[in-house]
Amino acid sequence: MDTNEYLQSVLSGQSLDDDSTELKELQTHRAEVEKLIRKSFGSVPIIRYGGSRAKGTIIKESYDLDIVCYLPSDSNAAGETLQEIYENVRNCLRNGYYVEEKTSALRLKGNSADNYRRDFHIDVVPGRFTDGDKSDCFIYQNGADKCRMKTNLDVHIAHVNGSSVIDAIRLLKLWKTRKGLRVKQFVFELLIIDLLDRKKGESLSTQLVHVWEEISASDNPIHVEDPANPSGNNLTETMKAAWPELKSEATNTLDTIKWSGWEAVFGAVAAAKSATIAERAQRATAFVSAPNKPWCPKG
Amino acid sequence: MIAPWHERNPVVLKAMKAELATHYPDLRVIVERGIVHIRGSFPVIDDAEVLDRFLIEVTLATDYPDSVPVLKEVGGRVPWHEDRHVIPGNGEACLIVPEEWIIQPNHDSILAFLIGPVRNFFLGQILVESGNPWPFGERSHGLPGLIEAYGEILGTSDGHTLRRYLDCLSREALKGHWECPCGSTKRLRDCHLNKVKSLRMIILPRVAQQAVNRLDKLSERQKKNSAHPIFRRIE
Repeated sequence: MDTNEYLQSVLSGQSLDDDSTELKELQTHRAEVEKLIRKSFGSVPIIRYGGSRAKGTIIKESYDLDIVCYLPSDSNAAGETLQEIYENVRNCLRNGYYVEEKTSALRLKGNSADNYRRDFHIDVVPGRFTDGDKSDCFIYQNGADKCRMKTNLDVHIAHVNGSSVIDAIRLLKLWKTRKGLRVKQFVFELLIIDLLDRKKGESLSTQLVHVWEEISASDNPIHVEDPANPSGNNLTETMKAAWPELKSEATNTLDTIKWSGWEAVFGAVAAAKSATIAERAQRATAFVSAPNKPWCPKG
Repeated sequence: MIAPWHERNPVVLKAMKAELATHYPDLRVIVERGIVHIRGSFPVIDDAEVLDRFLIEVTLATDYPDSVPVLKEVGGRVPWHEDRHVIPGNGEACLIVPEEWIIQPNHDSILAFLIGPVRNFFLGQILVESGNPWPFGERSHGLPGLIEAYGEILGTSDGHTLRRYLDCLSREALKGHWECPCGSTKRLRDCHLNKVKSLRMIILPRVAQQAVNRLDKLSERQKKNSAHPIFRRIE
């Protein structure tokens, strides 16, 4: 197997089938969220779906669904201001979920005893369309200097979908996830698309090495623009905060490839197994030389 | 104020980074605001193959390795629930009674921690997720779990007796004329002096004191629901 075949195998291992537990769970919660929103605000909000599935960048180790809940520009059905919309949608979702407030999104987690704070991989993004075209939208920016941001879900999805570098994005997302790098996925995708603009015809391995080399060689954050709002949404600060670890890990990864090869980056591709993970885990416990019992201080 | 461990021992930090790069290449060591963290994807390995992965953050307090590293599963896969051995208030995983780890001879090795309690914890999570029991059993929650753990180390199941042993072990020097902690009312030199001496080889006074403090804290919490104190302090 050559390098590019190996990378394709890694990608295959990260696919999620339509009938996978993960996607089925997303669909169940999608329906539940829509029900909660409709119950509180009726048929007025326009609900659309984004996230990695819509963009084609889904990987097993990091997947999410964005549910946008946009109000028409002339509607006060969920509040007069963007902040009110954000807070009212949050309150409505609290009827079914533990809601973690992010800058613009509301992250949904379990709120019952058996799944408390388990992540459902769903972000609900409340907002309001800027005009009757129902295309551009203003979203609230919780705790940010600028309290609102103009964005466009369709432009974002089209930008990634049409980039022709989806495989590279998925592999670099896997790399980012495994390294625990704290750079916003959307900004990271924009960076990858920009860096690979003239490398679309290259092999996957060449594309990845190019991205890491560019990041590694740049002392300052590489400038990226939000295609939905090039002049209004300044991503410099986001990139600046993440740059030192991004640069450091890109450099380390290039060294790893040089000295230990690609498998040292993405791991060996496992052959298909007949036993389930739980069965294999059960077998593995038999060989644990120093077992220990977990404990919880609260009784 | 004592400088954090990684400033006192930069060589140890460097060695830790090298060790992780070799054995767990997806885990990164980061120093943020004077605290060392380990972040990334933890592979649960069996027979050289990755069974599963969990996104983790391990925090090494300024007094590491005198304290147990704090593990959090940050991918949102494990619910914050006592029965999953995750503290609901802060998401910290409860891998082991801390003193059970601190008395291990290799407790200062991060690799031993990851291969041992962390891997065991996630093997357990995989099994519990699929409806199986904890593979190696689990400690009772709260104070009873502490008594079970300390009891196994000290060789007694009686709460009062183990408390007396811990009090005795927490002192810097031993005196033969002390009353034996076993409860016989004999002098220590005429009773369990050898046992106490053996225990002191593995339980340092600092660790015994830490155990006493932990018992007191949980005992205090439990006392709120009970008319009688759980332990009597030795005067």
